Amino acid sequence: MLAPIAWLRDYVDLPDDPHAIADALSLAGFPTHIAVTPPVITGVVVGTIVNIEKHPNADRLQVCTIDVGATEMLTIATAATNVGVGQVVPVAKIGAQLPEMTIAPRTMRGIASEGMLCSAGELGLVAEWFEDGIMQLDSDARNGADVVALFGLADPILEVEVTTNRVDALSMVGLARELSARFGTELRFPETYVTYGGARVEDGVVVTRSFDSLDLRVTLESTDCRRFVAQRVSYVDVRPAKAWMQVRLALAGQRPINNLVDISNFVMLELGQPLHFYDYDKIEEQHIIVRDARDGEPIVTLDGEERTLTPTALVIADKNGPTGLAGLKGGQVSEVSATTRELVIESACWVGSRIRRMGTALGMRTEASSRNEKNLPIGLCDIGAARAARFLEIEGGAVHMPRGFGRTMGFPTIVDITKSDISRILGFSVTDRELMDSLGKLGFGVDTMLTPELIEILDLDPKDIENVKSFEVRVPYWRSDVSIAADVVEEIARVIGYDRVGLEVPAVAPHAVSSAPFDRERTIAHTLAALGYRELVTLALEPIGVTERFRTAGIDVPALVEIRNPLSDDQRYLRFSLLPAHLAWLAPRRALADARAFEIAHVFALGPDGMPVETALVQWMRSASAIAAPNGGTEPGYLTIAADALAFVRTVLGRSATIARGTVPGLHPGKTGAIVVDGIEIGYVGAIDPRLTHAYEIERPTYAAFVFIDRLPASTMPLFTQTSKYPAIERDLAVVLDPTINAADVAAAARAAGDDAIQNVSVFDEYRGAQISSDKKSLALRITLQRFDATMTDAQADAAIAAIVATLRERFGATIRE
Amino acid sequence: MSDLTDRLAALAARIDAAVAAAIDERALDDVRVTYLGRSGEVTAIRRSIGELPNAERPAAGKTINDAVVAMEASIDAARASLERKKLDAMLTDTIDVTFPPKPAILGSLHPIRTTIEDATRYFERHGFAVIMGPEIETDDNNFDALNIPPDHPAREGHDSFYLKGIELLLRTHTSPAQVRAMRANPAPIAIVNPGRAYRRDEMDARHSYMFHQMEGLLVAPGVHFGHLRGMLTGMCRELFGAEQAVRFRPSFFPFTEPSAEIDTTCPGCAGAGCKTCSASGWIEIGGCGMVHPNVLRNVGYDPSEVTGWAFGVGVERIAMTRYGIDDIRHLFENDPTFLAQLA
Repeated sequence: MLAPIAWLRDYVDLPDDPHAIADALSLAGFPTHIAVTPPVITGVVVGTIVNIEKHPNADRLQVCTIDVGATEMLTIATAATNVGVGQVVPVAKIGAQLPEMTIAPRTMRGIASEGMLCSAGELGLVAEWFEDGIMQLDSDARNGADVVALFGLADPILEVEVTTNRVDALSMVGLARELSARFGTELRFPETYVTYGGARVEDGVVVTRSFDSLDLRVTLESTDCRRFVAQRVSYVDVRPAKAWMQVRLALAGQRPINNLVDISNFVMLELGQPLHFYDYDKIEEQHIIVRDARDGEPIVTLDGEERTLTPTALVIADKNGPTGLAGLKGGQVSEVSATTRELVIESACWVGSRIRRMGTALGMRTEASSRNEKNLPIGLCDIGAARAARFLEIEGGAVHMPRGFGRTMGFPTIVDITKSDISRILGFSVTDRELMDSLGKLGFGVDTMLTPELIEILDLDPKDIENVKSFEVRVPYWRSDVSIAADVVEEIARVIGYDRVGLEVPAVAPHAVSSAPFDRERTIAHTLAALGYRELVTLALEPIGVTERFRTAGIDVPALVEIRNPLSDDQRYLRFSLLPAHLAWLAPRRALADARAFEIAHVFALGPDGMPVETALVQWMRSASAIAAPNGGTEPGYLTIAADALAFVRTVLGRSATIARGTVPGLHPGKTGAIVVDGIEIGYVGAIDPRLTHAYEIERPTYAAFVFIDRLPASTMPLFTQTSKYPAIERDLAVVLDPTINAADVAAAARAAGDDAIQNVSVFDEYRGAQISSDKKSLALRITLQRFDATMTDAQADAAIAAIVATLRERFGATIRE
Repeated sequence: MSDLTDRLAALAARIDAAVAAAIDERALDDVRVTYLGRSGEVTAIRRSIGELPNAERPAAGKTINDAVVAMEASIDAARASLERKKLDAMLTDTIDVTFPPKPAILGSLHPIRTTIEDATRYFERHGFAVIMGPEIETDDNNFDALNIPPDHPAREGHDSFYLKGIELLLRTHTSPAQVRAMRANPAPIAIVNPGRAYRRDEMDARHSYMFHQMEGLLVAPGVHFGHLRGMLTGMCRELFGAEQAVRFRPSFFPFTEPSAEIDTTCPGCAGAGCKTCSASGWIEIGGCGMVHPNVLRNVGYDPSEVTGWAFGVGVERIAMTRYGIDDIRHLFENDPTFLAQLA
């Protein structure tokens, strides 16, 4: 919200320094910065045109004589066409400084001109918002008065953020009230006094009429209208508003229109109460009805748009149909216009959520609705109407008695607090004086029920009084956000300031919440970083194109989780895999020989029951340097990432994994291993499906592994086992067997050959080629033998090897390769 | 006997000559084998003892042994000298130590993770658990339990992504993880919870629809604002440096009362005022407050028994300030050069 400091000064005395004002609001909970610092303007005074003559030597110039006070008369030639005798105008005297120029004496076609008459634009205002030509000032302005001081044009304009709970502060008076509490100065509440009706003279005849508004009827058919104040004003002339009001509005970013619109906007910005003016004569039978809209009912709003309503909408209607959207916008049918002679002020209070729903349904938001949707205080309706009535009276209107319908302001909310409530929440204590002062400055009433008499009767120890003394806090009508003790404590803290809050470290009692998942994620991340992978953070929403790429490549995709209200089609689906994001990341970097990336994130799919399933995943990916010739039944790129997988499990879980043959969408069907720990497939490792890499224009062999974090077994406490003090020996053995037999199965069978001395068997090489039958492969095994009771003898080693050979022959038909 | 002495002297002389001629350790080995080995000359001399009268044999044996020890010493000395020469020769080697090595491939942690871990560390040291939670949430966990009923104006600031066909949404803050933790555990509870959250914001230099938060919660008897300021000050010092201060500015959140914005000393200017902090000397990193009694009740805690505070900070904002990143999108583009710079 834009708050011109000049406008705020109308209600409260403030320091000169605009930064002090901005800081005060910020520290009161309204983040504020200086939005506009006005240009320097000096030497412009109020003047009255007392004479105009045509310039003797120039058709387009007129020579004005201007009274600028103190019997000083200036002669000023002007090309402006809107000047007339009696007008009060801004006069830039010789030496005056304007944003664009400095005024010097000059001779215009032979006549010495002693200054310049100014337009609104020349005073730094938005030129298009004001009358063309010379700006017209109010007739009661004193000649010679400084125009900058008159309008506060030297004061900056603040941009103030108001939190949603503080609708009372969405107004100049609301902000001024906060500033008065911060600076300890008095709030000057706007004048709302009117003389209802009064004597009026029409066509030379004194007219007396009833000004009781009784001919105006309002029927509230919806309880979503909490209060409706209607007030009739007669004898209204539509014309430009007073200059000071136009300038105030313009500084606050509101374009001046005419006196009626401007008064309604002014009161809304000043007090926070949105108003609407109806042309009295355009309300059928002068009977206003507030009701739900009927389905399909049309309305043309003030902006000229025809809208079709549903019962979500709340309308202000007459017998003939809707005349306005409640709390949102008026309708054309009852619009005030240049011919309006009588009007009705509507000052109403709505159930905020209803206005919000209606605005959302209609896709509309206005200055009025942004306030009405936040539950304005009921008590503000009557004040808002009265303030508008006062201005209309000044404009010459005859004001009728207001009529209020619906609820009236109830009793104030009472909150009881003790000083221990304050120290319990804030950690510091306040004195009675501070408590009462800080609340009092904000308009709260404070009483303590523990009067001195009561203390005497109860014979209380002064020490105890501090703890039990209760304060009864009466919440002012405009603060509907305050209802419990914590709210009141916040008000006290806002005035006193949070600076008094100490720096303490809590002693946290032992509790049962486990950090294990976070600890595990941290270990996972650090492990992969240590293995040379860079962590990525990619975005979770994807277009359908990602899925189509998979499907086109012939790869299965799970049922996707779709966003109901995406910002764009590019962000319509939650990712089902991390592969697309990582391939998209790799594609422009395909020249990198060994790109490595990992990410820990959630992936999403719909389960069979139609509910979304969220899976925590870690994926790592690396590209190989080149398409290496297959080394028999395996390939180097696969072996490298598989080694990383085994190292990963070893580091993260503290135990060993095995790799079994597996398949998973996205990885090559013949080059995928399942990572198995304790018989559970915790994830997969393999070559990325070449159809997929091809779709991303990546021709390098690229490998990926992913592990389902929730499938990881708990890491176990490792237990010490006695090592042998006798030396281990290693024997190598080459066996020839069918190429479809997995190396892991051979090693496992060899380990289980039944000789206690066999500590480990690993496969370290594979051979296919001329030296063996073309339908066979040869695996090289390294066997570690060790006994716990003695050094192995050659004979014992031979026996163990023989047992392995026998087992492999029996299980796989393997023969020894000599 | 003198014959024996002469033979030994002659042998010693020949060995000395051969040792002097030996150019490497292998040649020395040959000398040893040739003269002192099993079939060497000294064996023949030992055997000749058998020809001597019994009475002379011990003396002769000793003479031979002494001679052999001396011969071996001569060979060993030569060996030591050769080794020394070889090592000395090695010392004269010189290489170009400036020749660039093939770089080791380094991995890295994302600056978002580094920032989160730096932020959680202080809390972990003080007994807080670190928890996570699902990103798809219910309205209840994300809003209602946090004192944000339907139609509450505060829902507007949390413009949410809803799922199609299911009344679930992507969490707009990480607070639902706190709701889950409180519902699953009795007070006292002390947790921090980092994670992803989502809001319907168009991507620009300062906004991303996916972002990270790091929140904290302490509920126990006797907990107050001073404990919050103390812990946040500690966290900011962990994140930005030992001189950091923390300031609270009143604000509004439906789930806390009182509520405050968290400012910390602008690290760019140490509080003097600069462009980063709009000359204020402070940067805003998040919001906090005392947990609203309604929230405590909603999760089954008794507001008359316990008080609590909660805070939430924006991880991207902190990371951008820490690393001087001018555009939030850098964090999600994952350029390897960018990642390497910040690792």
